[in-house]
Amino acid sequence: MAQDQYRAEPASDYILRSLDDVTLVYHRRSGQTHIVVSPVPEILAALTGDISSTAEIVARLSHDYDLGDPHDALAAVQTHLDEMVALGLAHVA
Amino acid sequence: MKHQVMLRIGPASFRVGSAWPQPIVDLARLYAAYPQPEDGIADFTVRLEPTRPWRRFIRPSVFIGGDHMLADAAPMALAHGLLAAEMGMNMQMALGWRRHLLLHASCVEKDGRALVMTGESGSGKSTLAAQLGERGWRLMGDEFALLDPTTGQIFAFPRLVSLKNQAIAVMQGEAPAERFGPLMRDTPKGDIRHLVPNRSAVTRMDEGTIPALLLFPRFGFAPEVREVGQGEAFMRLTQASTNYVTLGERGFTALTRFVTDIPARAIDFSSGDEAIAMIDRLWETLA
Amino acid sequence: MSGALLVAVLRNPASASRLTPGDWNGLIAASRAERLIGTLAVRLAGVSVPASVEPILADARDEAAREARQALWEADRAAAALAGTGIPVILLKGTAYAAAGLRAGEGRFIGDLDILVPRDRLDDVEAAILAAGWEWVKPDPYDDEYYRRWMHELPPMIHKERDRMIDIHHTILPLTARQTPDAAAMMADAVPLDGGLYVLSPEDRVCHAAAHLFADGDLAGGLRNLWDIHCLLTECRSMPALTARAAQHGLTKAVARATRLADALYREDRSGLTAFDHLFVARLLARDGWGRETRKLLRFAFFVRSHWLRMPPIMLARHLWTKWRKGHRPA
Repeated sequence: MAQDQYRAEPASDYILRSLDDVTLVYHRRSGQTHIVVSPVPEILAALTGDISSTAEIVARLSHDYDLGDPHDALAAVQTHLDEMVALGLAHVA
Repeated sequence: MKHQVMLRIGPASFRVGSAWPQPIVDLARLYAAYPQPEDGIADFTVRLEPTRPWRRFIRPSVFIGGDHMLADAAPMALAHGLLAAEMGMNMQMALGWRRHLLLHASCVEKDGRALVMTGESGSGKSTLAAQLGERGWRLMGDEFALLDPTTGQIFAFPRLVSLKNQAIAVMQGEAPAERFGPLMRDTPKGDIRHLVPNRSAVTRMDEGTIPALLLFPRFGFAPEVREVGQGEAFMRLTQASTNYVTLGERGFTALTRFVTDIPARAIDFSSGDEAIAMIDRLWETLA
Repeated sequence: MSGALLVAVLRNPASASRLTPGDWNGLIAASRAERLIGTLAVRLAGVSVPASVEPILADARDEAAREARQALWEADRAAAALAGTGIPVILLKGTAYAAAGLRAGEGRFIGDLDILVPRDRLDDVEAAILAAGWEWVKPDPYDDEYYRRWMHELPPMIHKERDRMIDIHHTILPLTARQTPDAAAMMADAVPLDGGLYVLSPEDRVCHAAAHLFADGDLAGGLRNLWDIHCLLTECRSMPALTARAAQHGLTKAVARATRLADALYREDRSGLTAFDHLFVARLLARDGWGRETRKLLRFAFFVRSHWLRMPPIMLARHLWTKWRKGHRPA
């Protein structure tokens, strides 16, 4: 799992809208609407561009955010990535 | 089908056929002031038919059929035929309309702006809308509000107001007798009586309106007003919409714009007058 | 009769310019009842229609497009679920037509996802699909045992979150049917698409559709199935190729009848129809201007016949008796 490389769904394939307390993601290919909170929008943003590993995504996020214990952060981001892959918002490259 | 009538409610038109005359007679009388579909072609077909051929005459039992139907829907007594016809038209809208985002909400208009009230059955949204409709507001609908994805305006679906149980007596005190349909006792939802929207509601039914306030009413509680966040409003409205998923991206952009543009409040109340006073205050400050 | 009107307009869309309002009401009701309004709307694109009809047809086209998007997403998720098993995902029916951009897919309302996998890999497939969030629809021991012993597919599954069904086939007809198509050959000759998905070859698609036209329900949905077949026939490489393949699957009669009926309805060529075919046509067109099915006795006869085609008479009696006891009744 930690060796997996990930890439985001192309940005043209989903729409993000911030509401006051949550973020909405409309995913065009599935027609599904997801209601998400941090850190999912941040992970999506950190993923865009090239292919990255979980560790690289965590490193990118820790530039701007305090992620707490690095071991926990890696596990948490991994869980989110797995969910996003199941939903089609990210893909194993 | 032996008996039939055509009518238009807001942007949607219906062809209702029936094996029995009475439901059609009732519809024709109550919807007399409503327009017909222009070129004689209806958006939807509703059929009131016997569940088995002999049930046309013996213990008549009405199955609600049409373009869109629920195969396991419970049949209804002929005495409730008018209700069956209304439910049939509702079903076509709920399952088949896609020109607007359908919100399960009541809606009234004043001074060119719309008040949208959404909630479960029993929340009081329909009775409140009916009452406001008799107090200077234009009734746009008691059950569905139509949100135009392109312009963000709300359009009216002013069907017959469906009054249940205690609400019947309340409205009989507020509207003239000739605007009421037959009293139907012991329907699956209790006693029901229909109220025809007033003249202004019918003649102005094609006027779209910008929405200005969203309320989540709750009848039967001590009076209180609470702010509702955009996220909560969005989620509750998707649950209250029968065609949000069907509309896809258009539905998403329409609904996100709706909740970000319009203030939302939850109001608890224990009487219609209490609610109306709260609404007047909120309308003044927020709309 | 609106069934006949629907078929005539599908055949010749320009003829719609002569329709009266009464005709239109009947046509729209019949096409909705036959689940053909999307197809009708695609056929009528560009034909001049009354002002109030245009939005009705536009809605139907939009709805079909949305269903196709949703169906292709389901296919994508099934492929993702099975990616680790190395089993190719062969799409069947509506989803296949949409994925391959076939004429049969244009405007078509698509229901569940149907896929074809090798029988000897069923356990792996079942495990992978369950692991990816699908679950059994109705755990009834009689139905389940019946399915696993006799049917051409696993009992139906539905996805927990997306609420969409998947039907996993291992051959195209129930094992109790009298014909035994060559499922292995179908899989061997499947055509690859982008995204790791496959569809059947053009001839096998016709064979599959023809087998189900008569083996499934009592010809309910037959007008739509025959429209599919009419479109699919145009993509076969040649009639000899089709008849050879049909023979290989033991489906010569089914394909021949399907072709005769499709030609009768959608190419207005009734020259080949047998006496029994005429009964089929009557059954298929039995739809009135209010969208109701007419000719009820004919329908019940077909209901019993279709079950007889699926299983030998003794089994049929036992099966119908058990279902009858449980309260299932044809309408």
